[in-house]
Amino acid sequence: MTTLDGLPTAERRSLGARLLSANTFWIALVLLALIVVFSAIAPESFLTFFNFQQLFIETAVLLVIAVGMTFVIITGGIDLSVGSVLIFAGMISAKTMEWMSPGQDASNAGWGVITAGLVVAIAGGSLWGLINGLLVARANIPPLIVTLGTLGAALGVASLLNDGTNVRTVPLELRDSLGFGTLEGNIPNLVVVAVVITVIFGLVLHTTRFGRYTFAIGSNPEAARRAGIGVTRHLTNVYLLTGFLAGIAGFMSLAYFQSTTISGHTTDNLNAIAGVVMGGTSLFGGIGTILGTVIGVFIPAVLQKGFNIIGVQPYWQMIAVGAVLVAAVWFDQQRRRSQNKR
Amino acid sequence: MLVLATGALVAGCGGQIGQNNDTPAQTGGATPANKNLDLVVGVKNEPFYISMQCGAEAAAKEAGYTITTQAPDKFDPTLQAPIVTALGAKKPAALLIAPTDDKTMAPQMKQIKDMGVKVIEVDTALQDTGIAVSSISSDNAQGGRLAAQTMAKLTSGKTGSVLVLDTKAGTSTTAARAKGFEEELKNSAPNLKSIGIQFTENEPSVAAQKVTAAISSTPDLVGVFATNLNTGEGAATGLRSAGKVGQVQLVGFDASPSEVEGLRAGAFQALIAQDPGMIGRTGVQQAIAAVEGKSVQRNISAPLVALTKEDMDKKAEFFYKTKC
Repeated sequence: MTTLDGLPTAERRSLGARLLSANTFWIALVLLALIVVFSAIAPESFLTFFNFQQLFIETAVLLVIAVGMTFVIITGGIDLSVGSVLIFAGMISAKTMEWMSPGQDASNAGWGVITAGLVVAIAGGSLWGLINGLLVARANIPPLIVTLGTLGAALGVASLLNDGTNVRTVPLELRDSLGFGTLEGNIPNLVVVAVVITVIFGLVLHTTRFGRYTFAIGSNPEAARRAGIGVTRHLTNVYLLTGFLAGIAGFMSLAYFQSTTISGHTTDNLNAIAGVVMGGTSLFGGIGTILGTVIGVFIPAVLQKGFNIIGVQPYWQMIAVGAVLVAAVWFDQQRRRSQNKR
Repeated sequence: MLVLATGALVAGCGGQIGQNNDTPAQTGGATPANKNLDLVVGVKNEPFYISMQCGAEAAAKEAGYTITTQAPDKFDPTLQAPIVTALGAKKPAALLIAPTDDKTMAPQMKQIKDMGVKVIEVDTALQDTGIAVSSISSDNAQGGRLAAQTMAKLTSGKTGSVLVLDTKAGTSTTAARAKGFEEELKNSAPNLKSIGIQFTENEPSVAAQKVTAAISSTPDLVGVFATNLNTGEGAATGLRSAGKVGQVQLVGFDASPSEVEGLRAGAFQALIAQDPGMIGRTGVQQAIAAVEGKSVQRNISAPLVALTKEDMDKKAEFFYKTKC
């Protein structure tokens, strides 16, 4: 039995049937189940505004990275360098803000300096994205190797910029606005930024030509080329986009931690990939949604948070998070396989 | 076997051209005329080790010795071992080293010792106590106890819960700090209850997340003890995000520039600082004593000090340096 056996059916399916077969539906159900279980066990501490507020804040940076990662994985590629690019962007941004401030102390810097910092962070992230893109698309080096290379190189350059230590001063204004400020109704600004970015790039992926080309290249690059899509150019742009988003994430991380966290973010790349894949995006390319990525990123986050709150021993947490990761993807694949057999 | 070993040594030298200016290998090992010391620290560009290097260099200069410092790019025995084997050709009078692994580094250090070079351990130490003539290190458990006493002072008799943030499971230094803290907390602050040790994978983001989770699950949280730089920065972020800065007392470990800045700004209420400069100075003094045939103390414990916002400027000499 292969997928070729069943002829494509043109009949219109009901909303319910379409919902049940949607890639994101089941994984969303897993997320919902986790929230229900933890809420039942610890209603006073898990099911609180504070807890969900923190959950969203702590996931915001990773979500921005994972949105970029979704594009790359849909093209059938991978980007391991995002964590290092994030640190590089934060570092060069922080250094720029220190250079522009009197006495190299950016603590009291104003909005002019902060805006410059943002521009530099985005430019820095985009630069590494462009390097990745050119090496993958034009030099035809496998993305795994290219981004493994830039993973080390970006961190190396970031370390060179400040002798391998964290930058000491980050503008307080940045901390109090982007890092910890809130809109009306206590919605954290960091979350607002992440949501806006997610919605914008969700629309880009699912409603624009850029998005359609991304899917087309992931499904079959040769077919895309023959259909007249500039594959080389488009692929470069996709990696550039991932670097651009890692740059924004770097600036967000800087605002939140008030530190360039040079020895952190080592597993951001794997966490982002795990979130994207759990959200139903195929590692082989051609399939994926931003909504799935959002859900996929939140599953480990909710698990960690819930386990911490109900006081599960740390060692068990590692085992459980790993097991849920693998199980979620396995169920998803089983479901698809049985669907394809029909 | 011998050929192999020699080959490895030669290869080791090959990687270190330019650092072997001395006339190579007098037979009979070190003579009192040899006034060259070598310091191999744990990792490059770490303020802790830079401060240690500063202390060592000052002490060597005072005694009329020269000291060369080398550092691996990462805290990793596979990167540190080649540096040590390469010293075989140079044969300094003494080697001061912070072994990056308590077992893996033993063969290379023994090789150097067998050439007649005195070996002094600084900061970290091998399990095999037969190689070094002296070991100088901070007592991490003592640091943890000091943190507990500081926490007791900061919370001034309040009742509540305290969270301990460790790095990765199985990191001996931070584990000793966490354990010392938990033990001493029972003595000096019986009204404070530890809600247990959480691991942060040495990631600030995980530390922040553990802190906010603890605030959710433990409304009476009054203190957090973070056992190193990354956990401390992450914990500070978590507390700020929860709006608990200053309400929940944060005690950090080490005094890196960013932490000192944090203490000044009020993100940390106290820091437990080691004294790397003193470790370096004492290491050199012990090395010189060993070289000159004087008596050497086998184990020396370097003191730790608690820094708070009030007294930090008086104790500025304990801030870790990024250059001498």
